[in-house]
Amino acid sequence: MFKNYLLLSLKVLKRKPFYTFVSLFGISFTLTILMVISSMADASIGNNAPMTDRDQYIFINYMERSVESIDTIYTIDSVLMESGEMRYDTTTDFNNNNSNSTNNLNYKFLDQNLRTIGSAENYTFLSNNYQTDVYLEGRKINLRTFYVDANYWDVFDFQFKAGSPFTQEDNTQANQVAVITTRAAIEYFGTDDASVIGREMVLNERVFRVKGMVARPLMDDQYINGDVFMPLLTIDARQLAQEELYGPFNAVLKASSPAGTKAIQEELNFLAENYPLPPESWYKQIKLHNANFFEYFAQSIVQEEDAAKAKRLLYIPLIILLLLFVALPLINLVNLNVSRVFERKGEIAVRKAFGANPSDILWQFIFENLVLTFIGGIIGAVLAIGLIKYINKNDLLSKVSLSLSPMVFVYFIILIFVFALLSGLIPAYRMSRTNIANSLR
Amino acid sequence: MTTSQPTISTNQTPAGNAMIELTNVGKAYRTDTIETLALQKMNLTVPSGEFLSIMGPSGCGKSTLLNIMGLIDEPSEGTVSLAGQRIEGYNGNAIARFRNEQLGFIFQSFHLINDLSVVDNVELPLLYRRMSGSERKRLSLEALARVGLSNRATHFPNQLSGGQKQRVAIARAIVGKPNIILADEPTGNLDSHMGDEIMDILLKLNEELGTTIVMVTHDERMAKKTHRLVRLSDGERVS
Repeated sequence: MFKNYLLLSLKVLKRKPFYTFVSLFGISFTLTILMVISSMADASIGNNAPMTDRDQYIFINYMERSVESIDTIYTIDSVLMESGEMRYDTTTDFNNNNSNSTNNLNYKFLDQNLRTIGSAENYTFLSNNYQTDVYLEGRKINLRTFYVDANYWDVFDFQFKAGSPFTQEDNTQANQVAVITTRAAIEYFGTDDASVIGREMVLNERVFRVKGMVARPLMDDQYINGDVFMPLLTIDARQLAQEELYGPFNAVLKASSPAGTKAIQEELNFLAENYPLPPESWYKQIKLHNANFFEYFAQSIVQEEDAAKAKRLLYIPLIILLLLFVALPLINLVNLNVSRVFERKGEIAVRKAFGANPSDILWQFIFENLVLTFIGGIIGAVLAIGLIKYINKNDLLSKVSLSLSPMVFVYFIILIFVFALLSGLIPAYRMSRTNIANSLR
Repeated sequence: MTTSQPTISTNQTPAGNAMIELTNVGKAYRTDTIETLALQKMNLTVPSGEFLSIMGPSGCGKSTLLNIMGLIDEPSEGTVSLAGQRIEGYNGNAIARFRNEQLGFIFQSFHLINDLSVVDNVELPLLYRRMSGSERKRLSLEALARVGLSNRATHFPNQLSGGQKQRVAIARAIVGKPNIILADEPTGNLDSHMGDEIMDILLKLNEELGTTIVMVTHDERMAKKTHRLVRLSDGERVS
């Protein structure tokens, strides 16, 4: 039966080359774009190294200090009465004034408070990333540099191409060693083979010895997108000694399971609510902005500090946009399918006269549509793979490398089926209900 | 819409009984403003094994009558019984199965599927039965042999003459071994020579397989070859 349907659908496609071309063009173009988008999505939010355990992280990147002060405003109204006397009415308004200030965190605060978060299995402290210019034989190289503690290499599973991560000892003794990415190796040493291990790099007039080399991560994420990673304690001592609550540091806490992140967040909120600020402080309260991976991803894209709001701001418009993008070719395809199917009223009537159920007819047309979409899908896949390779080869998205992981193909197959079902269902349903007697005249 | 399902047992020929029985069947087409009566108080019994022809001027209700017998149109009033079963629900899967097993259709304009080969066209009714592909092929070739088109099995409809197309359509109508064949002007689009050929095939089917055949025709000559002739005028039987 399916062989029969398959033969028929291929013949129908051949019979109308222009229609087939338009349909295939629409399908393959849409699927190409969707596949590139899904591979971008996979690159930025997929479960890829070095964030394979992305659902177990809690990111702390902001501290907010706030104070609520009450302003009292007196207003005196003068009213001229009928008797010619003046009356004075006094009203009092209370105005709640909320002032706050947000920034990254200070090392001392992290050191004293975050090492004891009981629900966290592991944690790492790291600096913001810095843009560091290096001048080499008349060339200027721009590198992103991070100061990270030794735990960093346990919290994130970087793939080491050569050498090893630096140790707790390297950090506590502020040894001038560094882990670099393959990109930094090529830029600085002109090669990314194991020979770079042990060589020296001059950064901000200090000499660092390369201890390890890691693959450049797929995603461009502010916690991992460095080119050079140095021990945290090699950072300018003034940064470490700062007494203010603010500083250039962040923290990532890791739970033993995705469910465990809730407990970490609760513990952090408790810590912040009960944090004793010195009595002379103008601000009376602190809040630690902590976010799981998806909240934090949204935060970093829409530049909104509040995690829940950031999530709404990013994902809702994104989903609507994506739906609209899929809806356009879909509506077009439905339209084409309706006219194509109506040409076959006679055939459908004959099939029904000879005993086909409405569901038989429905399945036949959905199957035919699946064949069409599948062919379009294969063309789309070839185009998408080509496009992704081209983008990666020419570094068109600078820091992001698009992935071609098995997950992308799974998304793709799902997309094809959804497309085929959606674009085939309406015409097929209408056709399956045709009146035989009218169609056979 | 009626949801009651007909209770139908299949492939049982009521020997000597009525294969088709219409009692007080009427059909009215309604629009918002007018009601057209296509059939009125039609009583007709076709015994098993009979070859009946229906004649009448255009618009007299011949095709409507045939459609009602073929369960592809629902009467406005009256009852229809086929193969000893009274038909009640017109929208269920059971009615589709009943058509599949009991009825074969032949149309004036053949209604073959041009994209399918002759043998694939013939096997169409069998697609809606539980049957292996090889069994379907065997039965289809057998039906084609019966209409003398074995050598055209892999051809396509547009490679055939009108008479050959109608023979393919007959093969399609008989491949499922139905008890009843309903033919709507099967020779209407053919010249007299080809028409005779088609008529001979139908007569032979009726004689050899005992299939009950109801044929609508405009051609007195063809009608005379059948067992009985019913004439319609303005939706009523006149003979």
